[in-house]
Amino acid sequence: MAGIDTGGGHGGKRSLNQEIPLIPFIDFLLCLVSFLLMTAVWTQMSRINADARVPGPPDPDKELEEQKKDLTLHVEMRGEEKFQLVWKEGNTVRDTIDVPRKQVRLNGEDFSYPDLSQKITEQWGTTGSHRADSDLKRDQAVLHTDNTTKFEDIIAVIDSIYAPQRTIKLGGAEETISAFNVTFAVD
Amino acid sequence: MSSSKPLSRFHQPISVPGRRLLAGLPLAFVSKKVSGGGHKSVNHDIPLIPFIDFLLCIVLFLLASFSASGELPIDKSVRLPSADNVEDMTQAPMIAVAGQMILVDGIPAGTTRPVKEANRMQKLDELFNILKGRREVFKQINPGKDFHGIAVLQVDREVEAVVVKSVFQTAALAGYPNVSFMVKNRGGGKKRG
Repeated sequence: MAGIDTGGGHGGKRSLNQEIPLIPFIDFLLCLVSFLLMTAVWTQMSRINADARVPGPPDPDKELEEQKKDLTLHVEMRGEEKFQLVWKEGNTVRDTIDVPRKQVRLNGEDFSYPDLSQKITEQWGTTGSHRADSDLKRDQAVLHTDNTTKFEDIIAVIDSIYAPQRTIKLGGAEETISAFNVTFAVD
Repeated sequence: MSSSKPLSRFHQPISVPGRRLLAGLPLAFVSKKVSGGGHKSVNHDIPLIPFIDFLLCIVLFLLASFSASGELPIDKSVRLPSADNVEDMTQAPMIAVAGQMILVDGIPAGTTRPVKEANRMQKLDELFNILKGRREVFKQINPGKDFHGIAVLQVDREVEAVVVKSVFQTAALAGYPNVSFMVKNRGGGKKRG
């Protein structure tokens, strides 16, 4: 069926030709395929990040009073009709934008807020503090929600906050990261 | 049955082989058919080499996508929400909120009842103690190594925000400030590493 012909074996010597046992080899491959198919993981679970470390570490080279406070995006989702995006510098409100709370149903029970994603992406493009490739720090978003909001609603809003993405350079290689880091407000 | 008459050949357990029909025939018509007999041959060679190549490709693909850790354990009562802008899963303690139960890697770690009764965010003591204990064990096993502080929350989509925020805050207080929520990947966004 398949063999290695070395052309030897003349003059009474033992032949060096060898037959490769293809059938056991195919059996082995089929066993391997079966095992790998049975143990394959087809469902892909992922995670959406939130961080309780707010604000980021201060610059050790500067005095605390001298350090400029970063603009923080507060996403207020307690309204029935609208979301409110508030840019704050410390406790000072710099800008307030209303976004209609328009839920778009996806397949099954999933939904998203595409208008909110679009508005946050626009806002980060004009107001975001950390946009340079060399800047590893992310802008901070704080999510305000009431106690009865369902978890699926929270995830839909966090997903919208993570919509704006940017690239950073890490040791010559480019990596895509979310522009924002999300945490929850304690109120 | 004690008669001296011998049993017929149909009743004997082992019979002497007799003459067989067509035993002496050369079956020339069969050999003629098989060899073609003037028509196209019915013999076929199986192309083994492309077959082995195909199998090897499948093996390589499956090996590349093989995960030794297996599927992540998800409680059947937990219906996860889905999202587009997600990150890959990571190895971290899994805090599941299923109904009123809180589980850390499948081990019971209290209930959400006190939070629901008070209807305000509060520290969950049992969960706090388990997470803190795990953190201390990590530090004892890996002295001098940085603790990553990641925990993954597996929460049902119907759970209320007050419970989510309480678990989040408790994890942060126990030394896990980097909390992730487990979701199903819708695949619409760009997956970040």
